[in-house]
Amino acid sequence: MSRRPRAYRLDDPDVVTVRSGDPPAEAPGAVVVTEEPLETIEAADGAVVPLGERRGLSWGGLLGGALGSLLLLGLGLALERFIADLLRTAPVLGWLALGLAGVALLALLAIVLREAFGVLRERQIERLREAAAEALAIRDHEAAKRVVAALAALYGDRRRFADSRARLAGWSDEIIDADDRLALAEREFLAPLDAEAKRAIATAARQVSLVTAVSPRAIIDVAFVVVAAVRLLRRIARIYGGRPGLLGFLRLARAALSHLTVTGGVAIGDSLVQQAVGVGLAARISAKLGEGVINGLMTARFGLAALAVCRPLPFVREEAPRLADVAGELLAGGDKEPPH
Amino acid sequence: MPLITDFVSRAGSAAQSLWEAGGQLLTPAVRIGVTGLARSGKTVFTTALVHHLMEGHTLPALRASAQGRLRRAGLAHQPDDAVARFPYEEHIAALIEQRRWPQSTTRISELRLELDYERGSRWRPGPASLALDIVDYPGEWLLDLALLDVSYREWSRRTIEASRRPDRAAIAGSWRAGLAELDPAAPADETIAERASNAFKAYLAALRAGPEAVATTPPGRFLMPGDLAGSPALTFAPLELKPDEPIKARSLAALMERRFESYKTHVVKPFFRNHFQRIDRQIVLVDVLAAIDAGPAALAELEDALDQVLLAFRTGRNSLWSSLFSPRADRVLFAATKADHIHHTSHDRLEALLRLLVARASRRTEAAGARVGAVALASVRATRETSVREGWETLPAVAGTPEAGERVGDEVFDGETEAAVFPGELPERPEDVLEGAIPPGSLRFPRFRPPRVDRGAFGRRARMPHIRLDRALEFLIGDYLL
Ligand SMILES: Nc1nc2c(ncn2[C@@H]2O[C@H](COP(=O)(O)OP(=O)(O)OP(=O)(O)O)[C@@H](O)[C@H]2O)c(=O)[nH]1
Ligand SMILES: [Mg+2]
Repeated sequence: MSRRPRAYRLDDPDVVTVRSGDPPAEAPGAVVVTEEPLETIEAADGAVVPLGERRGLSWGGLLGGALGSLLLLGLGLALERFIADLLRTAPVLGWLALGLAGVALLALLAIVLREAFGVLRERQIERLREAAAEALAIRDHEAAKRVVAALAALYGDRRRFADSRARLAGWSDEIIDADDRLALAEREFLAPLDAEAKRAIATAARQVSLVTAVSPRAIIDVAFVVVAAVRLLRRIARIYGGRPGLLGFLRLARAALSHLTVTGGVAIGDSLVQQAVGVGLAARISAKLGEGVINGLMTARFGLAALAVCRPLPFVREEAPRLADVAGELLAGGDKEPPH
Repeated sequence: MPLITDFVSRAGSAAQSLWEAGGQLLTPAVRIGVTGLARSGKTVFTTALVHHLMEGHTLPALRASAQGRLRRAGLAHQPDDAVARFPYEEHIAALIEQRRWPQSTTRISELRLELDYERGSRWRPGPASLALDIVDYPGEWLLDLALLDVSYREWSRRTIEASRRPDRAAIAGSWRAGLAELDPAAPADETIAERASNAFKAYLAALRAGPEAVATTPPGRFLMPGDLAGSPALTFAPLELKPDEPIKARSLAALMERRFESYKTHVVKPFFRNHFQRIDRQIVLVDVLAAIDAGPAALAELEDALDQVLLAFRTGRNSLWSSLFSPRADRVLFAATKADHIHHTSHDRLEALLRLLVARASRRTEAAGARVGAVALASVRATRETSVREGWETLPAVAGTPEAGERVGDEVFDGETEAAVFPGELPERPEDVLEGAIPPGSLRFPRFRPPRVDRGAFGRRARMPHIRLDRALEFLIGDYLL
């Protein structure tokens, strides 16, 4: 313990005060006190993952729901008439129609169930993330234990996690700090999934940048970017254990987009344009190539937002992936000097 | 006899709960028990909490605030007319304008803060309001809760035994000398009782290192009598009783025992019943750093005192029955206050120390089904973080204005100059501190004056910086604001 407590008066002429980010003071022999910004603590505590805002029952939603139900009712009624008529005039066809209607009903039921299941699953993941953030915030042991148990249950049917589950179960009764426990679960379950999701994002970004760089028309670009984003979101959701149907998908997409606006916006920030095309190889060769890079980066950003809203835990000890991790080649490509 | 009185007191508190439950139908109220020994930061915590909510500052970790659902907050008429009002305006003005901490609290006070908010639930949107009731009191009084279940004989034995410790020999000397001359069986005599009591009070005062140190030995009113100074209920002292000799009627011991019991019934119990029996959420403030500063013996004493005090609280999950008749705190947050004395890279270690100190109490609370959290916070952040480079070495330090008279190394401060202070390193293993493995002098946490805050634009009140106050609030009342 050589580092004993000591104090430096700030008005001492031998003490130089600078703000962090300033160029290092050139004061030989002096003590340099660097002031860190006030927000450092909050930043170190970790930003809370934005939660999908719960909105009240909206009139628009009510209108839509009511109209939809009316339509369905009308359709059902018409169908019923149709089949009754058919049964009267041509009984064979009537029975056939009845059978078909039954099959359709069954399929509808299955779809509804699947949708509901998907949304429930997503809610569960969301709640897990919230509970984990809360347990982290105030180091609540019991809550952390519950979160880890829920996580293990979430991945209960995946064979590859059998070992991890066993290991975590072994730790479940040991006295571990809340954050360490969550970090363990994160390392066991989520680290491999993170890697997989990152690969998926990188692949999608590369594809988008390639295709839009060579595609002849803007409309094709747009279509391809949208399709790629949709596929990417579904893929990531599945990786983390979600099973989004249509409704679930829409929820997720909204959450991801709102996350994107919070964390930086779809609109390409200046810095990004500079990184990508300012001095980049791509734009010098052709404007189209530059566009491809931008589209790729955009996809990557969207992928990161999707990752943040699909992941059942906030980032505890694992690094949150950055743009460079998933679109490194696009960025690096932009930095290289053009060959002569 | 005790069974009957116990029953009566229970019935009394049940009636009170019922009455309050009726009132709750109008505005739901949450009673927050701000629990902490002397100088742990109760008054500052309460002031800061009211400050941020009333001025409408955004508190990112408080979900209702982050979502913009908190509309307005204001001080409302408090439920208890017989108790003084918490002098919020005075405290906040002292903090902001004079950069002075509030004086040590000498009497009980209460406040009710009414929050208007927008419900965040999907099914029941719309405006709602919630009342927060908080009581502020001298921390010394809290110690008395440890006396509730102790007899006079037992208390005497424990107090005298504790004074035998070698490090207390010098402090306890004169009181112990007087004690040896007292004969418990002698006829009761008022002057003798008073002299004994005064000697005991002098011992208690000497036991506390200074007015800014925590006090850990009850009875608390002997140190902070409030408006009871000089009353017979406060004129008693422990006596050296033989273990199995009954106390004779009309003897000195009988007089002392009677007064001890009436101290409990007329002073401690009403205080406890009126202000602590019915709390919904509890925050336990612990000044870990000051205790570390004072050494392992002080730390062990703090641990013990806290544990004794917390035993008196009812915590756990509420059933329908208990929520009506004997509500318990279903969330308890342990907080290490004054975290701004150290760099945030050490906050984890501070938290670990806190958890070690309250381990027994928190296990008990958890077992009863209450949610337990722990956090290092600063209600008012008096320092900025810095890193100091001296030669090859870079130290994480905090910069602020140390209070007049504080010393670090050879520096003595005047209360005006700013300084960057490196307080030393908290140990990685928290047990080291309790075991005395930390060489004396390797840690020093000087007190700082409140921060200089700029006046906000357009005549708005300045905003006091804090550390994790919002997290504490989310844990305490977040679920009421859904
Ligand atoms: N730096 C810093 N110091 C604090 C903070 N809170 C309290 N203090 C210090 O702790 C002292 C005691 O705080 P109080 O709020 O008066 O403590 P209390 O628990 O009300 O004490 P009693 O009324 O005596 O029981 C203050 O005078 C300050 O020096 C804080 O958030 N930051
Ligand atoms: Mg006080």
